[in-house]
Amino acid sequence: MEGLAIKILGAVITTIVAFAVGMTYGGITRKLTARVQNRVGPTIFQNFIDLLKLQSKKTNIYHGVMGHFAPMWIITAAITVLMFIPVLHPGTAWYNSWFPNLSFHGDLIFLLYMMVFGSLGMALGAGQTGNPNSAIGVTRGLSQMVGFEIPFVLALVALMVQYQTTSIQDIMTVQRESGVWMMFSNPFSFLAALFASLGMFRYSPFDIVGAPAELASGPVSEFGGKYLGTMMSGGSIFAFIKLTLYVDLFLGGAYSIPELLIKTFALYMIPVFYGWVNPRYRTEQAIRYFWGWPTALGVIGLLIAIF
Amino acid sequence: MNTLALILLILFSGAIVAFLSEKVSKFLPSLIAFISITAAGILFYTSPADVFNFKLSMAGLNFTLKIDEFSRLFVHMIIGLSWLASMYAVGYMQNKERQGTFFFNMLLSIGGMLGIVAARDLVSFFVFWEIMTWSSFLIVVWTGADFRRTGIWYMVFSAMGAYAMLMAIMMIYSDIHTFNIDEIIAAIAEQRLPHLVEASVLLLFGFSVKAALMPLHVWAPNAYTQAPAAYTAIFSGVLSKMGIFGMALVLLSMLKFANPADFSLVYINGFIGQILAWLGAITAAIATLYALIQTDAKKLLAYSSVAQLGYITIGIAIGTPLSVMASLFLAVLHALFKGTLFLAMGAVERQAGTTDMTKISGLIRRMPWTFFVTLVSIISLAGVPPLAGFVGKWMLYEALITNGNVFMVVVVFFSSTAAFLYSYRILFGIFLGQEEDDTAHVKEAPLSMILPMVVMALLLIALGTYPGLLFDPIAQGMTVLGFENVTWQMTVLSNVWGNTVNLMYISTTIGVAFVAALLFLTLKGRKGSRNVGTKDISTSGEIPLEHENLTYQLDFFKPFERAASPLYRRKMTKIYDDLSNGLDALFDFTRKIYTGNGQTYALYVVIFLVALLIYVQNTL
Amino acid sequence: METKKDSQTIAEYIKNWSRKHSLFVMAYGTGCGAIEIPATMTSRYDAERLGIRGAATPRQADVLLITGYLATKTLKRVIRVYEQMQDPKYVIAFGSCTINGGMYYDSYNTINVLEKYIPVDVYINGCMPRPEAVIAGFKQLQDKIARGDADNGTRYKENLDWYRANQQQVIKNWRMPDYNW
Repeated sequence: MEGLAIKILGAVITTIVAFAVGMTYGGITRKLTARVQNRVGPTIFQNFIDLLKLQSKKTNIYHGVMGHFAPMWIITAAITVLMFIPVLHPGTAWYNSWFPNLSFHGDLIFLLYMMVFGSLGMALGAGQTGNPNSAIGVTRGLSQMVGFEIPFVLALVALMVQYQTTSIQDIMTVQRESGVWMMFSNPFSFLAALFASLGMFRYSPFDIVGAPAELASGPVSEFGGKYLGTMMSGGSIFAFIKLTLYVDLFLGGAYSIPELLIKTFALYMIPVFYGWVNPRYRTEQAIRYFWGWPTALGVIGLLIAIF
Repeated sequence: MNTLALILLILFSGAIVAFLSEKVSKFLPSLIAFISITAAGILFYTSPADVFNFKLSMAGLNFTLKIDEFSRLFVHMIIGLSWLASMYAVGYMQNKERQGTFFFNMLLSIGGMLGIVAARDLVSFFVFWEIMTWSSFLIVVWTGADFRRTGIWYMVFSAMGAYAMLMAIMMIYSDIHTFNIDEIIAAIAEQRLPHLVEASVLLLFGFSVKAALMPLHVWAPNAYTQAPAAYTAIFSGVLSKMGIFGMALVLLSMLKFANPADFSLVYINGFIGQILAWLGAITAAIATLYALIQTDAKKLLAYSSVAQLGYITIGIAIGTPLSVMASLFLAVLHALFKGTLFLAMGAVERQAGTTDMTKISGLIRRMPWTFFVTLVSIISLAGVPPLAGFVGKWMLYEALITNGNVFMVVVVFFSSTAAFLYSYRILFGIFLGQEEDDTAHVKEAPLSMILPMVVMALLLIALGTYPGLLFDPIAQGMTVLGFENVTWQMTVLSNVWGNTVNLMYISTTIGVAFVAALLFLTLKGRKGSRNVGTKDISTSGEIPLEHENLTYQLDFFKPFERAASPLYRRKMTKIYDDLSNGLDALFDFTRKIYTGNGQTYALYVVIFLVALLIYVQNTL
Repeated sequence: METKKDSQTIAEYIKNWSRKHSLFVMAYGTGCGAIEIPATMTSRYDAERLGIRGAATPRQADVLLITGYLATKTLKRVIRVYEQMQDPKYVIAFGSCTINGGMYYDSYNTINVLEKYIPVDVYINGCMPRPEAVIAGFKQLQDKIARGDADNGTRYKENLDWYRANQQQVIKNWRMPDYNW
C-alpha cells in the first residue's frame, strides 16, 4: 500500500515537473523570439501568468459535450503518455524513484498511438463548436500529421529492428551500456526523427494549423477561459514528453534533472531556431517536405539498421 | 436429428417462410428472420460442442460438415452479428417494399456462411459458397440502383473467383480423387498432390475476391454502399471474412503441411505469403486514400472495410503465431466495429434520409446514442488506446516488426495514420459541425435499432482492457490450425522479444486522469458556463442567420489530396474499364468478320477456294 | 476612503494580478487607428513585455480595442464581438472619434459617443494617439484591473436595457441574437 502511495505521489510530482518545464520552455521561447526581433519581450514566466488568467475567467462557453471533453482528452493523453515514458534512467540515483516508471508496461507502438489520442480528442471538440475555421484547421493538422509520421515511424522502426526491442527502456539501456548515443550510432534515423519533430512542435514553417490571422487560430478558435487554459497545460506537458522521448531515444537519456533539462532544451531550440528563419508552408507543401528528404533519410537509416 | 443440420434447416426454411409471409403482412418477414436466427443461435449455444458433425452420402459424394474450434470462432461472429443485425432490421426495414425478398436472401446467405465454415469437403464448401454469393448478389441489387456499377462488377468478379475455385477443386480431385479436406491435407503432407501450388493460387484467387484484395477489390465499395445497411453490416462484417477463412485454410492448413525438405514448396509457401501480405498492405494504403476523399458516409466505410481487410490479410499471410492471432482478433473486431458503423449509418439514413455528408451535419444532439456508438467504433477502428482496436493494431505491428517486414510496417502505419483522416471525416461530417435547419426534425432511432449497436460498442470497450476474453477462442481455433501452445494473457500483450504492454495500467491511468480532468473542468466555474448553439461562433463579428449554411464539408481533405496526388492518379476501375473497352473493340472487330450474314460467309468460301486454287496452281 | 485594493481577498488579489499582466487584445481595427497597433506591438514599442498580446477570436480575448470611428454597421459587429467575449472583459476606446465623434462628429452614419453603446474602461485621447499614448492607456487599464474596479461586463449586464435601447436607436435593422447569460 505504501508503495502505491509513493507511486501516486511520484506521478503527481512528475506531472508537475513536466508541466512546469513545458510552460517555462514556452516562456523562454517567447523571450528569445522577442530578443531575436530586437524586442524586450515578456518574462519567461509569462505562460504561467496567462494560464492563471485563463483559469480565473469568470464565464465560460459550453459548446456541447465534445467541446467539453476536448481539453480533457488532451490532458488525459498527456498525463498517460508521461506515465509511460522513462523521464530519467531508472535505478541510477535515489531520487529517480520519484519519477514512476511504467514504461515497461507500454512500448513505442503504444506511445505512437497514445500521442494522437489528444489531437483526435481536440479535433472532435473543435468539430462540435461548428466553427468552419476550426474544421479547416483540424483537416490541416491531421494531414500534416500523416506527413511527419512517416519519417518518424521509419526512424523508430529502424531502432526497434536494430536493437530487437520495442521498449524505450531497453533502448536507453543499450545506450548506457555501449556509451554511444543513438544520434551518433544511427545518424540517419536521428535526422529523420529530427525533421519529424519540426512538424510535431508546429512552430513555423509548419504552423498553418492554427494560423491566427487566416483561421482565427484554427481548432482552438472557440475555446477560451478554463478550456483554453487546460489545453495550454496539456500542450506544455506534451512538449516535455516529446523532448524527453527524443532524449531517451537518441541522446542517451538523462541521469539527473539538470542533464535532462540541458538536453531537452538543446533539442527544443532546433524547431524554434528553424522557425525563426522560415516562412509558413502550405499544407501540401509541408506534407511534400516530410515525404521528401526526411523520408529518404529514414529509409537510409532503416536500410542500415537491417543490413 | 443432427443439430448442425437442424440449424441450417431452420435458416433455409426460415428463408422460404419469410419470403412467403410477405403476402400476409409486411411486418412478418423481419420477425420471422429474427426468430429463425434467434432459434439457430439458441440451438448452437445450448448444444454440447461435439454434436456438430454431419455426414451425408449422395450420388457417390460424401458431404461432411463439422464445426471445429477454428470454425467455431467464425460461427460466433456469424451468429452474433446476424442476430444483432436482424434485430436491427426489424426497425430498419419498417415500411420498405419487397421485404420478403430481402429477408429470404439474408437468411440464405447466413445459412450459406454457416455452411462454409462447417464444410469439411470441397463440394459442400463450393455449394455453400455459391449460395452465399448469389444471395448476397441479390441483396446488392435489391434496391435496383446503379446496377451497371454495382451488380455487374460484383457478379463478374464473384464468377471469376468461383471459376478459379472450381478449377482448383477439379485439379485436386484429378490428383487424389477426393474432396474431403482432411484427406487432402493428409495427401499434401505425404506429397501426393503435384498440382498443389497451382491449386492453392487458384483457391487464393477465389478467396481474394471475397476479401476484396487489391486488384480484385473494385466490386466492393459499390456493393457495400448499395446493400441496405442492415445487410451491409453482415456483408462487410462477416461475409467478407469468408475470404479470410478460406485463406487461412489454404495458407495455414494446406501449404503448411508441405514437406519442409522440399525446398521449392517451402520457398513457394513463403513467397505466396509475402505476395499476399504485400497485396494486403497496398490494399490497405490505397483503399484508405480513396476512403478519405468520399463524401458519402457509407461509401467511405466501404472503402475503409477494404482497407481493414487488407490488414487482416497481412496477418494471415505472414503466418507467425502473433500475426495470425492479430489477424483473427482484427477480424472479430472488424465485424464488431464495422458492423456497428454500418448499422449506425443505416440509422442515420433512416432518420435523416441520407448519408451524404455534404447534406447533413450536426446530428450529435439529435442522435446522441448513434453518435456514442459511432465514436466508440471509430476509436476502435483508428486503433487508439484504450479501446479494442489498439490491441489488434499493436499485435499486427509487433508481428511485422519482429518478423522483419519493416517496410510493410511503414506502409501499414501510413495507412492507419491516414485512417485518422477519414475517421475524423465521418464523425465530423455527420455528427459534428453546424446544426442546420434541414436536420432539425431528425429524431433518435428506435430502441430496437439502438440496442444492437450499444451492445457491440460495450463489447469494444470491454475488449480494450480484457482482450483475453477474445484470445481464448482464438487460441483454441489456432490450435486446430497447428499453432501449438499459443500463449495469451487476459490484460497483457507481449511479443516474441519479450516486450509487453499492460492494458490494465493503461486503462487505469487513462481512467484516473480523465475523471480528474472531468471533475476539474466541470466543477470549476460551473455557474459562469453558458450553453451556446452552433450559430454562436466567432465569425469576425458577423451574425449568421438561422438558414445560413456555415458547414465545411466539400473537398474536406483537399490539401492532403493535392499532396498525395501521384497516388490518386491511377485508378483500378479505369484499368478494368480500359480492359473491357479493349475487349469490346476486339469483339466488334470479330463481328466485322463473322457478320452473321450467309452471303458474307459464301463470299469467304469463294475467296478461300480462289486462294486455294491460286496456291495449288503456283505450287504445281 | 478605503481603497478597493485593501478590501480584496488574497485570492482576488492574485487573480487580478494575473489579469493585469496577461491581456489578450482583440484589436478591432476600425478607422485609421489600426495603423498604430502594429507599431505598438512590434520591436520599437513592444507591448508584449507588459504581457499584452493579440488574440484572434473574441472567445480568447480580454480587451476589446476599438481604434477609431465606428460606422453604425460596424457598431453592430463590435457589439457582437463584445458580447462574445468572456468575463472579465475590458474595452479600450482609442482616438478622439470614440469620445465625441472627432472629425466625424456630424457624419450621418457614425456614432459619436461609444460609451452610450458599450461600457468603456479607458479612453485614449488623440488623433492619432501615438504608441506611447496607447501603452499609457494600457497601463491605466492595468492599474484599474489591479484595483479591482474593472467590472465592465457586470456594468453592461446591469444596464443592459439602457445599452440595448441606445443600440437599437442607431441600428435600424436590429437582428441581434439575445444575449443569454
